[in-house]
Amino acid sequence: MNDPINVLTLFLFNIVLVNIPLLYGTVGEIVVEKSGSLDLGVEGTMAIGAIFGYLAGCVANSLAVGLLVSFLAAGLCGLLFAVLTVSLQANQNVTGLTITTFGLGLYFFVGKGLGERWPAMTGAGSLVKGFSALEIPGLSKLPVIGKALFSHNLLVYLGIVIAVLVWWYLNFTKTGLRLRAVGENPGAADSVGVNTLMYKYIHLIGGSGIMGLGGFYMALYMSGSFEGSNCWINGYGWIAIALVIFANWNPVLAILGTLVFGFFNTLQIYAGSLAGAFPGSLGWLNTVPAQLYKALPFLITAIVLIASSIRRREGSGQPAALGLNYFREER
Amino acid sequence: MKNRQPLFHVVKRDHAGPGRQAAAYVAAVVLALLVGAVLLMVQGVEPVTFYKQLLTMGIPGSRYPWRSVENFIKLFVPLLITSMALALAFKMRFWNIGGEGQFIMGAFWAGFAAMKLGGTLPQPLMVVVMALCGALGGGLYGVFVAALKVKWGTNETLLTLMLNYVALYFLQYFAETKTDWNFFLDPDSARPKFAKFPANAQMITIPIGPFNLNLSLVIAAVLCVLLYIYLNYTKRGYEIAVVGDSPNTARYAGMKVGKIVIRTIFLSAALIGLAGAFQVSSAGILSTSVTNDVGWTGVVVAWLAKLNMVGIVVASLLITVLQFGCQTASTTYPSIDANFANLLQGVILFIVLAADFFTRFRLARTRKEAAK
Repeated sequence: MNDPINVLTLFLFNIVLVNIPLLYGTVGEIVVEKSGSLDLGVEGTMAIGAIFGYLAGCVANSLAVGLLVSFLAAGLCGLLFAVLTVSLQANQNVTGLTITTFGLGLYFFVGKGLGERWPAMTGAGSLVKGFSALEIPGLSKLPVIGKALFSHNLLVYLGIVIAVLVWWYLNFTKTGLRLRAVGENPGAADSVGVNTLMYKYIHLIGGSGIMGLGGFYMALYMSGSFEGSNCWINGYGWIAIALVIFANWNPVLAILGTLVFGFFNTLQIYAGSLAGAFPGSLGWLNTVPAQLYKALPFLITAIVLIASSIRRREGSGQPAALGLNYFREER
Repeated sequence: MKNRQPLFHVVKRDHAGPGRQAAAYVAAVVLALLVGAVLLMVQGVEPVTFYKQLLTMGIPGSRYPWRSVENFIKLFVPLLITSMALALAFKMRFWNIGGEGQFIMGAFWAGFAAMKLGGTLPQPLMVVVMALCGALGGGLYGVFVAALKVKWGTNETLLTLMLNYVALYFLQYFAETKTDWNFFLDPDSARPKFAKFPANAQMITIPIGPFNLNLSLVIAAVLCVLLYIYLNYTKRGYEIAVVGDSPNTARYAGMKVGKIVIRTIFLSAALIGLAGAFQVSSAGILSTSVTNDVGWTGVVVAWLAKLNMVGIVVASLLITVLQFGCQTASTTYPSIDANFANLLQGVILFIVLAADFFTRFRLARTRKEAAK
């Protein structure tokens, strides 16, 4: 444990392991925002995906069922958001915040209500097995990065694959191009025959579903132990909203961003042992307050937001119609 | 391409009748309670007795009924002031969702004043100083965003959201750091713990028989009247409405839009800071959960009330009853916790958001000649 290389390896390993749910949340929110909707309900959506996915996974004793149910349950939150904001023209900020309030309320209601009947994850062998590390042959034997990057559970790799696929979908497919058009200027997209309504619905549901997968990951990471006071998601949904901005609405940059935010997130736990392992070079870590690490993702994002608004740079990925409802009769 | 015409299309209504809206709201609350009742039955809890406890908030039959009323007021006042302040910003279409952060800053600076000057000033003066510190702390934290928005068009929704967490961890730092200079903490406790404020830094209460009326309730009521007049009968209030409707119209009319935005957001954030100051001086101690989520709940209340000051009083009363009632009822039903209030609140707002559509728009038959 005190071997410096060991500490470093574990630190890097945990940056990936603990923070992949952020990637799911972020990629889901990117899909949603690219369709022009600013969904502030990520936290609640992930909580709903987490609890229903976990319960279903335990009952069926199957990782696939858990993944599917978490996707569908969170997708329902996206559907609700779509009905209210796209069809019924409700305010997006308020709807999103309400989904968070409602989602967390439902999460605690279900969890508390089960009480003694709450299923332990050890009772569902295939969940435990599905979440255990898979060593990638060859690569996982590399020193330090072999353990840190190439011996993770299936869902870590799935998250990366989804991020890359979404990136490809947004940038290199016809539907991806149309989706971006809907987010930039729904009136123009509508006038050339793109079904804006359908695009918004499908991507709200799909994006929210991806967030739900992140929630399910979080449930498995917490070994399914339900605590009365703390939600599994523990603010990751809010960090994901920040990360979307940090990654400039690019899913591949989001992988990098997850590692950067994850670095601070994990440092707050590992600062002590890193300082102990490398007293000469990293001893100062002990003097930095842990709260600063927690605040840094939000602080950095705030600075990015301000800086990009000052520079008004060309390549900003923020959809022009983000947060605005599209009312066809006022086109 | 085949030219299909939908049978119906959506048209904006000119005005919505107040009766229609009131009916929609009553229906929303009833429906939410019904949904809640079904969920309660699933959990094996008898809904009628649960709701009875929730709505009476455990006051009848309690040994200290007045104590419950006092605690209710402590929950109600911060929510009421915060919701009114948020409505002010929302009227201008400025999406201040940084209520949490501004509230924390208000509480923090009021706490700062209490710990630094607590022993030296008489109570009435101390309460005023704390209120001013809180208002200034919250106001500056909010006006900073407004200035950026005016100057460079920074997205205020996302920026205020980020600043909520910066403020939270800022407060946590003082809550969890045990050092010599940290005068916020209790010196007698080995582990870090906020110290109680000196007695003269606590909110003034007016004893009426067995009941102690919290002065902040009176101030909140006065604020409510003042804001109503400000919004409806003053030039500045009119300017807020015009900027909210269309910044360009305001500009053509010769209004200085930037100045109006900055002034209004400072007022909005300062009121939230004031609510934070009232909260800590009523509690007599700082806490990292000082906001009790009013920054979020305030958005819900302001929206439920359609940004109308009278509506906000009603809506924040309703939400406080739900929250305080769930807290009391959950002591008898361990399987239902206080979060049940959030669930009900969510359902109510979903229904209201959906019902709003039918008060703002109507479905019109698409006529053949119009289609051409």
